[in-house]
Amino acid sequence: MRVIIAEDDAVSRRILETLLCKWGYEVTTTQDGEAAWNALQEPGAPSVAILDIMMPRMDGLELCRRLRQLPGSIPPYIILLTAIHGVSEVVKGIEAGADDYLTKPYDREELRVRVQVGARIVALQTKLAEQVQQLESALGHVNQLQGILPICSYCKKIRNDSNFWQNVESYVTDHSHAEFSHGICPMCYETTVKPQLESLLIARSVEPTQQSKPIDFQSE
Amino acid sequence: MSFDQVNSQPRETGALRLTPAVAIPSDALDVAVLNAFEELQSDDGSDLVIELIDLYLQDAPQQILAIGKASGSAEWAQLKRAAHNLKGSSSTLGVRQVAEICEKLEAANCLDPSDGVEALIQLLDYEFAKARQALAAERQRRLDESDHR
Repeated sequence: MRVIIAEDDAVSRRILETLLCKWGYEVTTTQDGEAAWNALQEPGAPSVAILDIMMPRMDGLELCRRLRQLPGSIPPYIILLTAIHGVSEVVKGIEAGADDYLTKPYDREELRVRVQVGARIVALQTKLAEQVQQLESALGHVNQLQGILPICSYCKKIRNDSNFWQNVESYVTDHSHAEFSHGICPMCYETTVKPQLESLLIARSVEPTQQSKPIDFQSE
Repeated sequence: MSFDQVNSQPRETGALRLTPAVAIPSDALDVAVLNAFEELQSDDGSDLVIELIDLYLQDAPQQILAIGKASGSAEWAQLKRAAHNLKGSSSTLGVRQVAEICEKLEAANCLDPSDGVEALIQLLDYEFAKARQALAAERQRRLDESDHR
């Protein structure tokens, strides 16, 4: 998973970079809020952002606000990591759009687990987004069968999107994941199959020497 | 104004009484803080601690210069920002006295001369010079140590 660091202090930035690489993340570093803003708008941008608040060009709070207004897919998980202490500052940070707030000097283990939480949430969001996409795609198939279908009153063929008349079985197969097994319903057995069998038997009794033929229902 | 002059100033500076022996611990560098970065060393032979010392010694003089300039032109927001930055990197590396002075600069009411901003800046110069020596010595010790390995 990719993590971006926005930190203007070179020492803190290098330490953070070392820690995150050690924990197995792919790390991008930036020295100010504007550079981070640009990097986070690129395709395949990092999923977790660790931002300082006091930075040149664009501060961490403004960056949070902008990131929350970004249209599109999954927003990054934002951790504000700052030397600015106090409950009111934490409230300001979270209200600006941060998911978490950690003050310097920080405990490395605490940072590690908080980044882990971020990575877990991003993974969950990604999975949910994929499932929503799959559901929307499935819903698309269902919608095609729910619309008004022009069907021939006599032969029961359906006119498809290409204006061809298609039998019901092949149409349904083309427009859904349904598959058909073939059988005979009791009514058809009584009204169609049984009379055919009976007529065959009669025919055989009239011509006993004639060789029996395989029954071909479709030709009847 | 020399460091001794700063220290011997009779005037009261409220919370910012400029007596380093009392207000600020005597050691320029807490080596234990630096040593705590040992566990982050990579296997490629590079020394992270030396890298951090170099980064700090590169950046800190610029911040101190910015603090001095901002004070001269009464740009207090810039002064506080530079002090804030220097405080962060100094405390991270165990340069505690510099960090404490920066914290006081950050909190100082710059419009009130009795806050002793100028005196704090001079003290910062002095303490940074001590810290630079200590960091350079630690850097050299590490280099010598790695040569012996």
